[in-house]
Amino acid sequence: MLYHYIYITILIILALMLFPCLIRAIKGPRIADRLVSVNMMGTMVMVMIAVLALMLDEGYLVDVCLVYAMISFLAVVVLAKVYIGIYEETRRKAEQAEKGTGENTENEGGMSDGSF
Amino acid sequence: MGAFEWIRLIAGCAFLVSGLVIFFTEIFGVFHYDYVLNRMHATAMGDTLGIASCMVGLIIFSGLNFTSLKLLLIVIFLWFASPVSSHVLARLEVATNENLTGHCKVYTDLKALEEELSSEMSGQEENESGGTKS
Repeated sequence: MLYHYIYITILIILALMLFPCLIRAIKGPRIADRLVSVNMMGTMVMVMIAVLALMLDEGYLVDVCLVYAMISFLAVVVLAKVYIGIYEETRRKAEQAEKGTGENTENEGGMSDGSF
Repeated sequence: MGAFEWIRLIAGCAFLVSGLVIFFTEIFGVFHYDYVLNRMHATAMGDTLGIASCMVGLIIFSGLNFTSLKLLLIVIFLWFASPVSSHVLARLEVATNENLTGHCKVYTDLKALEEELSSEMSGQEENESGGTKS
């Protein structure tokens, strides 16, 4: 019974700590801020799942925790790569638009073909 | 409860509480610093030390069985995954920030940084030796 109260206390403290992470994820001025805070929330949720696994005495919840860790890592890496790609794409399009207006409008058709 | 049970309870609680304190420090650091590359420093601490401390506490509670082995596996996986994700996030920040030099110093050539550091070091040594002489 004592262990039960300890687990409940840890879960409540971790749940309270999740709210500042959420505030940082909403407020963060840059995309990297949001990804960092999402990563932080993932770590805390992992600890919560591990505590639940011991509290409910269900061994398979630890497997859930392991899969959660892998998917959280994958999400951060993939989102970072996707945002780098989006940034490069928009910058290349802006450069091409500048070049097109500076020289002549003949490249207009070829440019739209090349972008897809 | 016997003496062994009490020792197990106290040791597990100590590890868990230290893990929670490290998580709190992480949140404090994230709100304290102003820039992402500084915030990442605070976050990496919670990703490695905080979760490792919490998991060691849970392993002590759980005893020596297959569940505790899997908890240890989570910690080892995060020790490998957290530096990689931090590296990718830093690359995202450096690649997409147009005003990077406004936040921190950027060295395109590593030799410039080494020269500056060595000159700083020699300057400090001279200052220290001068202080001891006088």
